[in-house]
Parts: sequence; C-alpha cells; structure tokens
Amino acid sequence: MHLKDAKFCVIDLETTGLNIKEDEIIAYACVPVQELRLLVNNAFYTLIKPEKYKIEAMKYHGISKNDLDKAPTFKDVADKILNTLEGIIVGHSVEFDYMFLSKYFKKTGIKLKKDIIDIVLIEKWLEEKSGNMEIDLTIEGMMTKYGIKDHYRHNALADAFFAAQIFQLETLKLSKCGIDSIKEVLKIVKHSKYTTYYLNERLF
Amino acid sequence: MIPPKEFIKKIKPFSFLSEHELNILISGLEVKLFQKNSIIFKKGDARKYVYILHSGLVGLFDNGIAVDYISKGEIFGIISIHDFPYLLNARALEDTVSYLIYSENFKEVFNKNTKFSYFFSTFINRRFRSFKKIASEKKLFEEATFVLDIEKIIYKKPVVCSPDTSIEAATIEMHKNAISSIVVVDDEMRPVGIFTDKDLRMVVIRGSKLNPVSKFMSSPVKTINTKTTIFEAFTKMIDHGFDHLVITKEDKIFGVITRKDIRIQLEPSSSIFTLFRKIVKAASVEELQTIFNNVKVSVAKIAISGSSFFDLTRMLCMINDAIIVKVIEIIEKEFSLNNFVWIHMGSLGRKEQVIATDQDNALVYGRKRLLAFADEVNKTLVKVGIPECPGNYMASNKKWNQDLPAWKNDFKKWFNNPVPDNARYLSIFLDMRPVYGDELIYKELIESIRKSVTDQAISALAYDAIHIEPPLGILGIRGLYKGVDLKTYGIYPIVNGVRVLAIDNGLLEITNTKERLEMLSSTGVISNEMCHDLLESYGFFQDLRLRHQSSAVLNQSAEDNLVSVKELRRADLLILKEAFKIVSSFQKFLMNKYNVKRVLSHLHTYR
Repeated sequence: MHLKDAKFCVIDLETTGLNIKEDEIIAYACVPVQELRLLVNNAFYTLIKPEKYKIEAMKYHGISKNDLDKAPTFKDVADKILNTLEGIIVGHSVEFDYMFLSKYFKKTGIKLKKDIIDIVLIEKWLEEKSGNMEIDLTIEGMMTKYGIKDHYRHNALADAFFAAQIFQLETLKLSKCGIDSIKEVLKIVKHSKYTTYYLNERLF
Repeated sequence: MIPPKEFIKKIKPFSFLSEHELNILISGLEVKLFQKNSIIFKKGDARKYVYILHSGLVGLFDNGIAVDYISKGEIFGIISIHDFPYLLNARALEDTVSYLIYSENFKEVFNKNTKFSYFFSTFINRRFRSFKKIASEKKLFEEATFVLDIEKIIYKKPVVCSPDTSIEAATIEMHKNAISSIVVVDDEMRPVGIFTDKDLRMVVIRGSKLNPVSKFMSSPVKTINTKTTIFEAFTKMIDHGFDHLVITKEDKIFGVITRKDIRIQLEPSSSIFTLFRKIVKAASVEELQTIFNNVKVSVAKIAISGSSFFDLTRMLCMINDAIIVKVIEIIEKEFSLNNFVWIHMGSLGRKEQVIATDQDNALVYGRKRLLAFADEVNKTLVKVGIPECPGNYMASNKKWNQDLPAWKNDFKKWFNNPVPDNARYLSIFLDMRPVYGDELIYKELIESIRKSVTDQAISALAYDAIHIEPPLGILGIRGLYKGVDLKTYGIYPIVNGVRVLAIDNGLLEITNTKERLEMLSSTGVISNEMCHDLLESYGFFQDLRLRHQSSAVLNQSAEDNLVSVKELRRADLLILKEAFKIVSSFQKFLMNKYNVKRVLSHLHTYR
C-alpha cells in the first residue's frame, strides 16, 4: 500500500516511570493521520488514573495527583483508546508505548496486534543513509532539526502532535529516497536494531 | 493545548478571537505538507480551505506572474471565503507545512467577530489579499496586547444590584461570586455606583448591614466603554487611584475590570507597561531621560511587529503627554504660577506623533507672562530627549507665550489676512490641544476662534492641501528609487484637507485626523466610502512611515520620511500606488468644494 493511502495514529503516553512491569500509564494522546494529513480535530487526549501515584515522576510529566484522582481508569476508557488506534501506530520510541498499551489491553482481555513505526528508527535510517552518525534523536532534537521547535511543553498531546509532524516530514524525505510504500517502511523499521538508548533518553 | 492552537493564537487577527471562536477554527483543522513545486490550489478551484503557513514558502501567481510570497505565520486563500473560487494559483516554492482551516468554519467566525473580520476587510487585504505577518515572537506579542480592547479580557458577567438592595444582600452576592465589588445599577442597567470591599469597611465603622447599598457606594462611578484599550484603562486606574473600573457598552453595564485582571493579562513582563508606571512615579529629570529612551526602543519594537498606526498612536500619545506633564509638574514647583494652559500643536496636538518627535508647544497665560517657566520646560524636555522644534514653535518663544486677548487677536489677524505665513500659522495652531493647566482658558479661546473663521482663510487652507500633487506617473510611482517622501505626498495632503473640512464645519475641538474623519462622515460632510478610503490610505502611509522610522531607531540610524523601493514589499508597492490615487481624488474633491486650483509654481511649502 502507498504511504498516502495508509492510515496512521501517532500516539504518546505519559507514565509514572520506565519499568513496564511496575509503572503505570497516566496519560494517553493520539493524533490520527490520513492521506498524510494530520487530523487535528480528531486528536484524542485523556488522563488515566493510576493505582499508585509516584510523586518523583511528577517533575517529568507535571501532572498532579489531584488531576489524576479525577481521571477515568484505563478500563473506563479502554474502548475509546482502542477506537483511536486505527491503522499503523506511530510515535517517538513507540515500542515502549506499545508495550505498555499491550500490557494494559491484555488485562482487559484484548490482544493488541498492530504494526508500529518508530520515527526514531526512520530518522536513524535516513541519517545513516546520508552518512551522518552523530544525531540527536530526542524529540526536542528532532523538532529543532525539522524547524518545528516551539515553546515546548512536556505534554502527551503536544508530543504526539510534534511526533506526527516529524513523521509527516520524514515521509517526504523517504519519498525522495524512493520509498513510498508501507511495506518498505515497515522493513526499514524491522531491520533497525532497537536499543534502550532512546528509551533512557526519553525520560532522563 | 494542542500546538496548532498555540501557534495560531499568536497571529493577528486570531489574537482577537475568544477561546470558543478559536475552537471553531481548530475543529476541522488539518496539517498538510506540500512538496516543493507542488500546486496548493489553482485559480478557479472551488474554495475549501483557508491556509496558514507554518513553515516553508508559497508563491501566489496570476498568469505566471508572482503576485506575492507567503512565509511563516501568514495567511492565504482568504479572498475565497465569500463564496468565490480562488483567484490566484498557489504553489509551494519550498517544502511547506500549512495549516488548513475549513473555509466554512472560518466564515462562521468571520461573521461573528467584527474585529476579526474588519482585519480582513481593510484596504490592504481587500484589494491585495497579501497579509502582514504580525509578531510571532512572544515578547513582542505581549506588548501588542496593550492595544487590544478592554472587552477582550472581560470574561465574567457583571454582578449587579439595585440602589435599595441592603448592604447585607449585596455583600452576600459578592461573597457568593468571590468578587471584591458589586455594581449598583438603575432600572435600565446603567451603573449609578459601585460598592467595594473598601466601602464595606465604612459600613462596619458607621453603618448597618440593613442600610441600602446606595448609602455607602462610591458614586458617581467612573466608567469606560468596551472599546477602550487595555492600556488606556490601566492608565486611568493609575491616574485616579482606582482598583476597579466599570465597563459600559452603550451606557449599560458590561463588566468590571480590576487592576489585578489587567496585571494577569500583561505580566510577566511588558516593558511599556512598566515604563508607564515609572513615568508616573518619576521624581527627577534624569529618571525621565532613561525612561524616554527605553520608550522609544519599545515602541519601535511594537511598530516593527506590525501594530497599526491608529492603535499605536493612542498609546504613544498618552506616554508623550505623561512625560511632558511630569516635566511641567517638576518645574512648576520652582515657580509660583498663576493660571495658564499648556498647549500642544502639530502632530502632538493631533495625537499622531510617531517616533521622530520634536516639541510643538505654546502657552496661554491668565495674568502674568510665564517665559522663564516655559523656557525651563522646553530645555528640560530637550534633556529628556524630545528635541527642540526647528521652527521654534515653542512656549519659550514669546510669540507663542501670550495672554488670552493676544491669542484671540492673532487668530483674527490670521483668518482675516491668510497670506502664506498666516495660513501656515493657522494649520499649526488649529491642531491645538490642551495638555496641562486651566482648560477654561482653552475653551474661551476656541469659542473666539469659532467666530473668527473666514471663507478666505478656508480657501487658503484648502490650497495648502491640494498644491502638492502625488507622484503618480504612467509607469507607477515617480522617484521611488531615490525615495518618496511619505509626509509631503501622502500624510500632509490628507491631514491638511481633513483639517480644512473640520474647521469649515465647526469641529474645532477635535484635532485627531481619524476622529475628524469619522465625525465628518457621521455628519454627512463626506461619504462613508470616502471616510473609509482616506482612513485606510492614511493608516497605510503612517504604518509605512512608522515601520521605516522604527527600523531607523533600532539600527540607530537617522530618522527620516523617505521610503525607497528597496524596503517595500511587493504588496506594499501596489498599495502605495492605490493610496496615492485616493489622495489624488480627495484633492479633486477639495478643489471642487472650495473652488481652488493648483498653480504651477507654488510659492510656499508647508514645513
């Protein structure tokens, strides 16, 4: 399938930490992409009430306990979230988000099976192709590179939006390299080795 | 908040929109990427979107000829919203990311919010669709918020009560709404007083909670209307020491604004705002000197950011007046003065002074001549940074420092014998505005002037407005490579022409060109259309001049009025030509009305 004809959902999570076994999701955001357009109006964002609130993680996500107390539980919004996960899941270090989501859906009896595209791996591939090895692959770094650096606020919805913009710009670069089908893009992603480096970079 | 909303909110005129209106635009918003050289829309395509450029470069073409270039923060595709197809071809000249707003949504907001739609229907945009990019940098933007109307920051419905409400009931109402004041209104919702926390103290000291609220309210109450700028409202509060101001719309209560509301709006930092407070508090000339220098720089930044001349001068005029009044106050202490009135003339009198400024002042005294005092004020103003008037139109000149009978006589003399010198005096002094002192003296002078006006002088003044022809040639604007003097060819013909119409129709106390025009149009002297066209071209000349002089201030080069082709954008060039055409047809109107003709060799020029 041509990239243009595919549906994507660019997602981002806020979590209480990096440990998939122990930590919890506290926010979910999704920006759908169709015909390579960002459908801002259909963007979705929700806070999710965790079982335990970790104070120390607050300095990264800035979400207060008070806000979370009022938020729905994952179970409450599981259907809604599932509805937004249309097409291929895209994101910055999205493997991590995907693992979290899979774990959560499993608990509600749903098996999540989706293709995923990590914009970091695409970027790495593009840069290595042009012989560049020293690259800043944090989301801030990539935003700066693509000229979409804004008054940056660490927030799942903003991050999902920026990731979607980066993805949009990456598709343009890919098409200039002659890559314009889903199959080829998924191949690139699969062949890239995933390292925890990016994961760590994300929160620390 | 989703990033596109934050981005859009910072762009004028989207900054005029309420949260709700912004949400309408955002609903259905898409972000699309256009590869270099791809077509965005074609002439004749059915309208679908209004575009806001996020990054990249877009060219608008008409039959292959570039009409305009659009860059970050600019809007295109607007003209299509009135059910017309697109009128131009749009092509991405670089890889471009654009926000797409459904034109239906755009139209909905456009029809609802007049301030927003006015921005699009002004001269520039109506004719040339090109769009000025307005400060997207945050700092500049904050400063620009000063010129927003006060109604933009009133979100709460006013809490009101009738005069016979008991203090107890009124206080309960205040407590329930968590507010520090309640507006007391009559049967027709017109404010008659305001009852605040402070007044409540007086009740505790010497009243009873069963008393009617009218017994302890502050009355009459100072009000301002919804179209006052935030800046004006704030200065009023500082001037009068108020914490609350009542906002009215058509004399009826609209809301209440507190100092805190304004601070929240303007903080964390805004230099102009702080500077104004400093002027009010300043105790020494040295302080004023530093402040004035900072004012110039801040104003230049705001001007560059694209604030309009009309908005900006309202604010600037208050700052200039405040500085001058402060200087007078400081110096007044050294002299024992009887009654007098300090007058501003020229552009300062018209409230149209931009950056490059000189002193134009005069003094009317009651009994004793005040030369030494005026001399000291003039000298001190120079120290502060306002240069002397090259023509010596200053209160320290004994010609312009006279008692009331002498001034009345001068005007009579000028009106009766309008030789070039006298006509020039008239055009300067008919723009006079009292700034400090005894306003009654000024009022008496105006009444005397009203009786002195002659037809002969009116023709002479009309001649002043028409004798310089705009530099329009077959090939466009003449002399544009060397530089065109905006003041001589654009600004003066309008100012002078509008003044003569105003004086001829007895509007002596209005000195501002825009206010004069609006009054002339509402009394039917000129058509609405002429008023609109003149305001648009006048605003355009002044905006251009402002921008030109602002860059001079920021680059620390000499300030002048010559604009050359290099600094003009393509769209400006087209508009400049249109604006000169409007001047030309205004002059024809004046020539017919006052039966004056242009002579080839004119003997006098306006300073």
